[in-house]
Amino acid sequence: MKNVYLPITVDHIARVEGKGGVEIVLGEDGVKEVKLNIIEGPRFFEAITLGKKLDEALAVYPRICSFCSAAHKLTAVEAAEKAVGFIPREEIQALREVLYIGDMIESHALHLYLLVLPDYLGYSGPLHMVEEYKKEVGIALELKNLGSWMMDELGSRAIHQENVVLGGFGKLPNRGVLERMKERLGEALSKAEYTFDLFVRLEQYEEVEGPITHLAVKPREDVYGIYGDYIKATDGSEFPSEEYKKYIKEFVVEHSFAKHSHYHGRPFMVGAISRVVNNASLLYGRAKELYERHKELLRPTNPFANNMAQALELVYFIERGMDLIDEALAKWPFKARDEVVIKDGFGVSTTEAPRGLLVYALEVKDGRVAYADIITPTAFNLAMMEEHVRMMAERHYNDDPERLKLLAEMVVRAYDPCISCSVHVARL
Amino acid sequence: MEEKIKIGFYALTSCYGCQLQLAMMDELLQLISNAEIVCWYMLDGKSLEDEPVDIAFIEGSVSTEEEVELVKKIRENAKIVVAVGSCAVQGGVQSWEQDKNLEDLWKTVYGDGKVKFQPKMAEPVSKYIKVDYNIYGCPPEKRDFLYALGTFLVGSWPEDIDYPVCLECRLNGNPCVLLERGEPCLGPITRAGCDARCPAYGIACIGCRGAIDYDVAWFDSLARVFREKGLTREEILERMRIFNAHNPKLEEMVEKIFGGESQ
Repeated sequence: MKNVYLPITVDHIARVEGKGGVEIVLGEDGVKEVKLNIIEGPRFFEAITLGKKLDEALAVYPRICSFCSAAHKLTAVEAAEKAVGFIPREEIQALREVLYIGDMIESHALHLYLLVLPDYLGYSGPLHMVEEYKKEVGIALELKNLGSWMMDELGSRAIHQENVVLGGFGKLPNRGVLERMKERLGEALSKAEYTFDLFVRLEQYEEVEGPITHLAVKPREDVYGIYGDYIKATDGSEFPSEEYKKYIKEFVVEHSFAKHSHYHGRPFMVGAISRVVNNASLLYGRAKELYERHKELLRPTNPFANNMAQALELVYFIERGMDLIDEALAKWPFKARDEVVIKDGFGVSTTEAPRGLLVYALEVKDGRVAYADIITPTAFNLAMMEEHVRMMAERHYNDDPERLKLLAEMVVRAYDPCISCSVHVARL
Repeated sequence: MEEKIKIGFYALTSCYGCQLQLAMMDELLQLISNAEIVCWYMLDGKSLEDEPVDIAFIEGSVSTEEEVELVKKIRENAKIVVAVGSCAVQGGVQSWEQDKNLEDLWKTVYGDGKVKFQPKMAEPVSKYIKVDYNIYGCPPEKRDFLYALGTFLVGSWPEDIDYPVCLECRLNGNPCVLLERGEPCLGPITRAGCDARCPAYGIACIGCRGAIDYDVAWFDSLARVFREKGLTREEILERMRIFNAHNPKLEEMVEKIFGGESQ
């Protein structure tokens, strides 16, 4: 019997966060079992915020995840605003989306360059790439810095933003900052395109090729985007966000502090590629051109296409961010926030976090949280991820265990789970 | 050539924000050329968890039985242990709910589902091992890392912060969120170092850097101000507990203001 350890990267999951591992159990006839063990302690976010004041709960929710804290903050705040029956002004919504885009740019840049690329270049981590790949590391830092600067300016900081409040923002940046933001986005476009060209060339392993059902938010407006009130699936169906529980079933598995999810009784995928395959017709600008040229690679049948889809989104969201800043500036100057009357009610917000569909359902009663349900992208993805790791393992179980572990890790990483974990390969 | 200082970065139960903050620093590339990174799973696949290091940075709260063993092992392997961020130092926001037990919390989130690992109520690292230095914040500021790491790497010892957010806030000339707007700002009891980041945005401090040590966190005085503004004992405790759930002074000092009256 052999036991080997290997760290791999896995997502931030609500009340799980971080530490997880892949366990591939082999027997005489090949792969017996594949399990993604999610072993980091539970944090019970839904339980600890029950009965708490709404604004304090909203300060705590983003702490679920650092890589996409802005996504959590904005989704939680929207669910709360829906619950109390408040709709933010268009210009406020536009700036919230710009903040969300900051998160998207930072998260995608970190994932693609620091977590994915080292595998393809044969390094154990990005810090070893610095000498040989100066240009790539430089671009990574530049994109990452742009995203975190946007979150600093609009959210108060790049991790755990406090500046988003019920009714709007605590404080708005001044006009000059928004103009500079648009300029910097414009300057970054060529870097994003370079990233896309780079990821077009990377292998998408055919071992995991096969049908996948993808779920994504149907954008509220008629452009590719982040917010929406309906969920779309690649099986052609569509349902209102409030009915997510009817279509997506969550259940506990014994090897994971994160719950698994099924759609119509089957694993499914969410993420950048899920957005692209569901909403490609709503892309515009440079990203639309790139999509048309490379759509055979941006396909729904391979989880590795998610890396490329993220690179495409870097291009898209940079252009989209510039347009949203223009929309906000057209209404300038305006108030940072409106008064929100906290009434009783129930609200569901579904948005597209960097890693895919994020659901917040909140019930507010007497100004306090009476019910909370949060489902994060990785919780949605875990079951599908397990299936893809199994497909990879079935083809490579006779290989050197180091090779198998690396390939298993790469499958998991393609889903953009952002944390380190370990892989056990147990040969029985 | 002189041997490089060996560094390990370890994660318990957390959001990985402390590591992310450190990883996002452009200065990191200059700093780590003076160090050898033995363990940092978030950034390096060749990490070794059970190896001797000079400085161990620990992020996250102790939230499983497995993590209790891990922190003990890290302590044995390290010359200096640094607790990083509000989870490691104060038990984090996951410690917020102290009135329900583990079983209640479990049932709310997982129902009757069972998992093969052993969860426990979140606790700070110092509950299980000796911690030599703390880096505060949720997340810590980049300059917290720059100062601590830079100081360690030149062979010196960084100083602690013993003054409140209010000090930085007044120096920056922000309007007072507590006195002028009447919002329950925790600046007066919270450790400085963030340059009063949230009050600068007109947002009341929620205390993410934790209460100041050295017996200068006046929970009672602030509770009196909050009470005058109409907050109940429970509301005050709830707010102060978000990042201070394990502080032994908190309840007793707030109690002084309410003097055992029932609310």
